Amino acid sequence: MTTLTSSVPARSDLDPETPRRGERARTAWLPTAVLLVGAFYCLLPVAWVVAASTKSGSSLFTTFTFAPGGDLLDNLSDLSTYGGGIYWRWLANSLLYAGVGGALSALVSGLSGYTLAKFRFAGRDTIFNVLLAGVLVPGVTLAIPQYLLLAKVGLTDTYWSVLLPSIISPFGIYLARIYAAAAVPDTVLEAARTDGAGELRIFGRVALPMMLPGLVTVFLFQFVAIWNNFLLPFVMISSDGRFPVTVGLFTLLNQGQTVPALYSVVIIGVLVSILPLIALFLLLQRFWRLDLVSGAVKG
Amino acid sequence: MRAKFGAKLLAVVLAAGLSAACTSSDTGDEDQLAQPGGKVELSFWSWAPNIDKTVDAWNAANPDIHVTLSKQAGGGDIVTKLLTSAKAGNPPDLAQVEYQALPTLVSNDVLADIAKEAEPAKAKFAEGVWQQVTLGTESVYAIPQDSGPMMLYYRTDLFEKLGLTVPKTWDEFAQTARAVRQKDPKKYLTTFSANDPGWFTGLAQQAGAAWWGINGEAWKVSVNDAATKKVADYWGALVNEGVIDGKPMYTPAWNKALNDGTLIAWPSAIWAPGVLEGNAPATKGKWAMAPMPQWAAGENKTGSWGGSSTGVTAAGKNKAAAVKFATWMNTDPAATDLLIKESAIYPAARDAQASPLLQAPPAFFAQQKDFYTEAKAIADTAVGFVWGPNVNVAYDTYKDAFGKAITGKTPFSGAVDTMQSATVADMQKNGFTVTS
Amino acid sequence: MSSAVTGRSRRGAASRRVPYLFLAPAIVLFTLFVILPIGYAIYLSLRKVKVSGLGLGRNSRKEIFAGLENYRDALADPELWSSAGRVLAYGAILLPIMLGLALLFALLLDRPRVGLARFSRLAIFLPYAVPGLIASMLWGFLYLPAVSPFTNVAEWLGLPAPDPLTGNSVIFAIVNIAVWGGVGFNMIVLFTSLRAIPGEIYESALLDGCTQFQLAVRIKIPLLLPSLIMTTVFSLIATLQVFTEPLTVRSLTNSISSTWTPLMKIYSDAFAQNDIYAAAATSVVIAGVTLVISFGFLCLVQRQAFGGEHR
Repeated sequence: MTTLTSSVPARSDLDPETPRRGERARTAWLPTAVLLVGAFYCLLPVAWVVAASTKSGSSLFTTFTFAPGGDLLDNLSDLSTYGGGIYWRWLANSLLYAGVGGALSALVSGLSGYTLAKFRFAGRDTIFNVLLAGVLVPGVTLAIPQYLLLAKVGLTDTYWSVLLPSIISPFGIYLARIYAAAAVPDTVLEAARTDGAGELRIFGRVALPMMLPGLVTVFLFQFVAIWNNFLLPFVMISSDGRFPVTVGLFTLLNQGQTVPALYSVVIIGVLVSILPLIALFLLLQRFWRLDLVSGAVKG
Repeated sequence: MRAKFGAKLLAVVLAAGLSAACTSSDTGDEDQLAQPGGKVELSFWSWAPNIDKTVDAWNAANPDIHVTLSKQAGGGDIVTKLLTSAKAGNPPDLAQVEYQALPTLVSNDVLADIAKEAEPAKAKFAEGVWQQVTLGTESVYAIPQDSGPMMLYYRTDLFEKLGLTVPKTWDEFAQTARAVRQKDPKKYLTTFSANDPGWFTGLAQQAGAAWWGINGEAWKVSVNDAATKKVADYWGALVNEGVIDGKPMYTPAWNKALNDGTLIAWPSAIWAPGVLEGNAPATKGKWAMAPMPQWAAGENKTGSWGGSSTGVTAAGKNKAAAVKFATWMNTDPAATDLLIKESAIYPAARDAQASPLLQAPPAFFAQQKDFYTEAKAIADTAVGFVWGPNVNVAYDTYKDAFGKAITGKTPFSGAVDTMQSATVADMQKNGFTVTS
Repeated sequence: MSSAVTGRSRRGAASRRVPYLFLAPAIVLFTLFVILPIGYAIYLSLRKVKVSGLGLGRNSRKEIFAGLENYRDALADPELWSSAGRVLAYGAILLPIMLGLALLFALLLDRPRVGLARFSRLAIFLPYAVPGLIASMLWGFLYLPAVSPFTNVAEWLGLPAPDPLTGNSVIFAIVNIAVWGGVGFNMIVLFTSLRAIPGEIYESALLDGCTQFQLAVRIKIPLLLPSLIMTTVFSLIATLQVFTEPLTVRSLTNSISSTWTPLMKIYSDAFAQNDIYAAAATSVVIAGVTLVISFGFLCLVQRQAFGGEHR
């Protein structure tokens, strides 16, 4: 069995711009153009939010959509002062939910995936199938029972009420199992066992480091899933000081009938809320092992 | 081996379940009095803008009763969350509640009967207003906060430019709507929104609709009464004729239409100046307010859109302190002036309506000097209305049924029939005795 | 190849417990936050509220056993069936467009001599970082003719302003939001799989005078088939769960009802109409249907990803 790093040759470096052997660096115009159209399509709403965030409330819907205004800093300071700076608290909450939840999820998924891939025991397939079937249960159907159950132990409207349900990720376990099967050679485990190491120690010192790129991927997936989740925190959290940014922006957009929606604050808030995710992706890009999704990392 | 593990797992789950059962049983309604020197903690849900300023003022003056505010998305969301949290046994102590939601909340045991504690507050409110929080019973379920009598807002500059006069009856209103289209095909007099059931209900109230009523031990439900059908078909004909727009309110497109003069009038409520100021800032000083058009010339009636109260929950442990805060917030001049100034609320308490702050018109309507004198006169013509225990169902059905009627160009009275059957079906399913 | 800890291990019983201990956190969390709530939903689905009298006094509302009444009501509701039909139509439009574009972009990125490829790749992937709620809001602004830049473009071209939120085109408006949000992610998955194919495979084909197009159709797509199947399966699951986008866009239009998709119906029953019992019954019905689908799904995954693993 080939290990992961060697099974992926230089080509998998996510940079196809380096020309392949024997090819001339003359641009292929049609493919370039098609891709740029795709890029344009994907950037359009983002460009809109960037342009809109520079406009004051009064010119937002009256000037041409993509014409920039000069009120970016005013909008930013409106956002910062709204409700005593509560927006930044929402952003910090989102980072906490997604960061801690994603990390715990990666750890639990890693341990489970490793166990499912590397141990043989009665009920393995059943356990895996049941866990995997969890991917098919829509969050909407779980949210209310989860709320009522957590309320019985007095955990609603706490950070735990969003963190705990976010740790379990069937998809993460699925990815971790694929990765563990490919990246952790059995021979290494055998050797460690022969040396008399305990199983927990083998996992922590031997398997975990080998699985790290896969776990980063699980972390990123779960980070995004928690960050983007709206319904769970919307149902669980009632104190605005514990809202994540999605729920916070939703409340700004849906003030009561007697209150105008704070569009210019919402729009700058949307823009600022997208930035951390983009930064995270750029930062962790090279650990992104998306071939995992298709199970393509078999040695 | 597996069996042993399974047993362990079961034990874990059972333990969790047991501890759940134990903690849920201690939500009795014993009234904890503040211990001497101890501090009472109250939680309060509201969506009113800047209401934190009023809460801060209370906290500064009352160190022994501390109120923690949690801002919520809006009147509808608060009801949903109150119902869920009450089911789970952990609602806040106080919540801002729209009048039409009171029966729903009372029927679900969310709100406490505060008749005893609220007795001193009764005299501060007009009888019609107080009736909204008693539901016509001996009990009191909330302290009124603000009211939303409906009035007609229109663009004075555009009315002048198009040579229009302010319609005094709905017939004239229809004529005006046609005239607008004739003179400037880009403009509409106003829009009919399938997204705002509270708005339509206010219009129906003005025509004399009575959707719910109590008949001994049975509810009488007539959402599709003659008055409502008259209102629905009046608007339906205008929308299908193409002289009234059919797009929802409270969207970016609606904002723009208010801003650029595509929509030149808005039948709304007393709180509209704040909304216009936020959504159509470019039109400052160009609006005026007039009484609603009437169904018969010489009549003088209006309905209500919005308006809310402060409810105290049944699960709360400090009822007395909670009522004290709610009464202070809605009747003490210091508090009501803050609500007027910071939250743009038209207070329900009689003395508060005479506040010096309400002598000058709102800044956005600076040229209409007698704005609040006129508004008070209109507010006194608001008709009463009995709300039923499932307004949420009727309202939810409104959106779907009227949306369908507008897109399908079918008579609006059909949508009203749909509302009636959905409302009655839901009440019967829940075991209410319903007559019609 | 197999090193699994089995009964023959010298450490015996203690080590046989290890896999179960390692799986315990996942199993406990899964039980508490998935299985227990499902069980509770089933319990709720068999109950209903009974009001006595006017329902205004204290304790006038009691929860009683309802038998299968909620299920009968749920299955007899034409709204549920039409919403299910709508989701199928939505999926039938969405999946080919989204995955087709993702495949096209991935193949183009994998071609040599493409300019600005890194920029395009990042730009197309960017929407993945935007929550569905916010994506729907942004597209909502672009859909409303009064505030949309497309209106200006159409006026300039002398065409009528597009209004994607009216009538039957609203389904395409929702599809577009989903395509926008999903195409980049699927593109990256396929692209990563393409990069993992050793380059030598192509070389002989290129020496035979194969064009890039022929190379893509004859060699790359067949090699991508496993990845395509997996992305299809995961997209299908997401499609069946469509919820946030229509719910958010709903406030802008008359054309989306509160029961537009099955999950919206559950949401509406539970949150707008305060009938968690009906919502629970509908949830259980939908969970049952997905369970049936899941059998096919699981077989596929087993064959796809773990066929080569020791058994």
